[in-house]
Amino acid sequence: MNIVVCLKQVPRDNSVGIDAQKRIDASGIETITNLFDEYALEAALYINDEHGGDVTVISLGTEEWLDQIRRAMAMGATDALLVTNDADYDVYAASQIMTAAISHKGRPDVVICGRNSTDDESGAFAPMLARQLGWTHVTYVNKIISSSATHLEVERQLEDESETVRVTLPAVLSVSKGEVEPRFPSLLRVRKFAKADVPTVTVAELGVQPTSRAQVVDRVPPPARKSGEIVQGADTAAKVAALLDRLVADQVL
Amino acid sequence: MDFTANYDMFLNEEHDMLRQTVREFAEREVLPHIREWDRSGAAHGEGPETRTYIRPLIEKMGKLGFLGICMPVRYGGAGMDYLALAVLCEELERVDSFLRVVASVHIGLNSMTIFQWGNEEQKQKYLKPQAEGKKIGAYGLTEPNSGTDAGAMESTARRDGDHYILNGEKIWISLADIADTFVVFAKTDPAKGNRGISCFILERNMPGLSSYPLHGKLGVRAGNTGGIVMQDVRVPVANRLGEEGEGFKIAMTALDSGRYTVAAGAIGLIQASLEASVKYAKERHTFGVPIGDHQLVKRMMSHMVRKMDMGRLMVYKAGWMKNAGRRNSRETTLAKWHATVSSWESADDAVQIHGAYGFSDEYPVERFLRNSRGGVIYEGTRELQELLQADYALGHREIAPPLRCELPAYNKEVWEAE
Repeated sequence: MNIVVCLKQVPRDNSVGIDAQKRIDASGIETITNLFDEYALEAALYINDEHGGDVTVISLGTEEWLDQIRRAMAMGATDALLVTNDADYDVYAASQIMTAAISHKGRPDVVICGRNSTDDESGAFAPMLARQLGWTHVTYVNKIISSSATHLEVERQLEDESETVRVTLPAVLSVSKGEVEPRFPSLLRVRKFAKADVPTVTVAELGVQPTSRAQVVDRVPPPARKSGEIVQGADTAAKVAALLDRLVADQVL
Repeated sequence: MDFTANYDMFLNEEHDMLRQTVREFAEREVLPHIREWDRSGAAHGEGPETRTYIRPLIEKMGKLGFLGICMPVRYGGAGMDYLALAVLCEELERVDSFLRVVASVHIGLNSMTIFQWGNEEQKQKYLKPQAEGKKIGAYGLTEPNSGTDAGAMESTARRDGDHYILNGEKIWISLADIADTFVVFAKTDPAKGNRGISCFILERNMPGLSSYPLHGKLGVRAGNTGGIVMQDVRVPVANRLGEEGEGFKIAMTALDSGRYTVAAGAIGLIQASLEASVKYAKERHTFGVPIGDHQLVKRMMSHMVRKMDMGRLMVYKAGWMKNAGRRNSRETTLAKWHATVSSWESADDAVQIHGAYGFSDEYPVERFLRNSRGGVIYEGTRELQELLQADYALGHREIAPPLRCELPAYNKEVWEAE
């Protein structure tokens, strides 16, 4: 099966700042592969452990992402493409670019994405991509139940129930944290792919003219948490009574 | 900050990706359980409990190629170099010493010794499955009555036709109850002292060989340490490593490999102490400021940084020399001495920075302190390393005495050939 995995690099933790242009400033923070994209890659490798075929990793980013792309290859991806971005695109524009990039690599049977990136958190990329491709999409997949050349049967973990979906290919999946942990790259593959050449194209070379439709108007950090309150009282019983009164007054109880 | 950045005079992209892989492995597979495993080792001693988690873990390490990291591909290894072994040990011990101990005995003391001294048949029979992670190796030199004075060992090997009959006991053997293969030393000619020692490869299933776990250790409680008893163990002559009487030299070269892994691991332990201290020093406030703002806390952290960076350079220099095929006993013992003593001091400072919390296993630093103490003793005590360095400087000890078998220099093409 030919599978494309969309992979994004994100800051390891959320101790980011906001710069003068209201952009996220993650300088000095270690970057890693987006957690859900790791599960996306694992899902693709898991499917092809059975069927064989190509798993192509495609990223829209900078050359600083090459290490994570090579790591994905060491995990088992067979091919990769880095689309170097020259501007800040919104999710819609990114989905336009990735649609062109996917066509550039051929016609896959499945495209798998993480359910959201842990930096922007929009969760809109996979559905938008499916719309651009004109394919079916299934979101919040946490388990690949079975796969064939024409269908996938997957489980979606929803808030109160899980749903089993049989989908006709081609399709776009967005995966959440699944039951199968992402595999570690073996050292033989680390050695093979640590310096691998990764094909790179620019947005212009893909012949696409992305149109960002949403604009971040403002960005502010969340308000600081209010400091707590220590319940006063003469002894423990009085303190407990005062606490209960307070919890009732605030409708916690 | 990334304490491992800017070592590209020694390390390349492969090492960087290796570091990330090992770090993720240790953090995902071991870190969430380590306090429980460490407590369990203290409460129950070692044995079946330890083996339930240690075996699957070692199997995973084998499948990923960790256990044959610096061995040529044709001997089942991953085909990486000796610096990669250092990176592996750093990252393993950054999470817990018991993980690095696996690398030290299986790779450093056992596999590298067979690689250096073994004939082709021995390499195919023992090294290959070990490098593939299918068999686990351990090393037996220390005895109840001989440690630093290895020449005083009491184990004997008596020739009997095509076999040797081995008798004796080895103690403080890491993975004693886990390993499949043991590289052990015994006297074939007790009258000749050090020159009467020979080296043998023993298999666990050889009749007369048994093992037992040790209890009540100060550190490395999540790991397995024990003894092996040899009662009339018949060992084929084909299992003798090197010539008769070469055992002492083999034991010392094995330590050149083992001490290297201990030194590298100790750097990982310093880094773990430092990272825990940096995190805590930002969170904990006293006198209205984070404790990291207090000068005496800063001093403890700055000393950790100094010791870690110095040690890392020493280890990589020794690794670079191994890659180049240069004798590195002097550099390796120096790195081992500096790194292990520094890891003990750094873990001690980390406990101090954590205050009373550092005195409990709610935080990892007390475990780092207990684990670090062993390295100051095993594979050559602090005092032995001091004497060696003075003797090298005084000219009392030869830097590179001739050896019949050197550890092969790393050759990328040869190592990577199928």
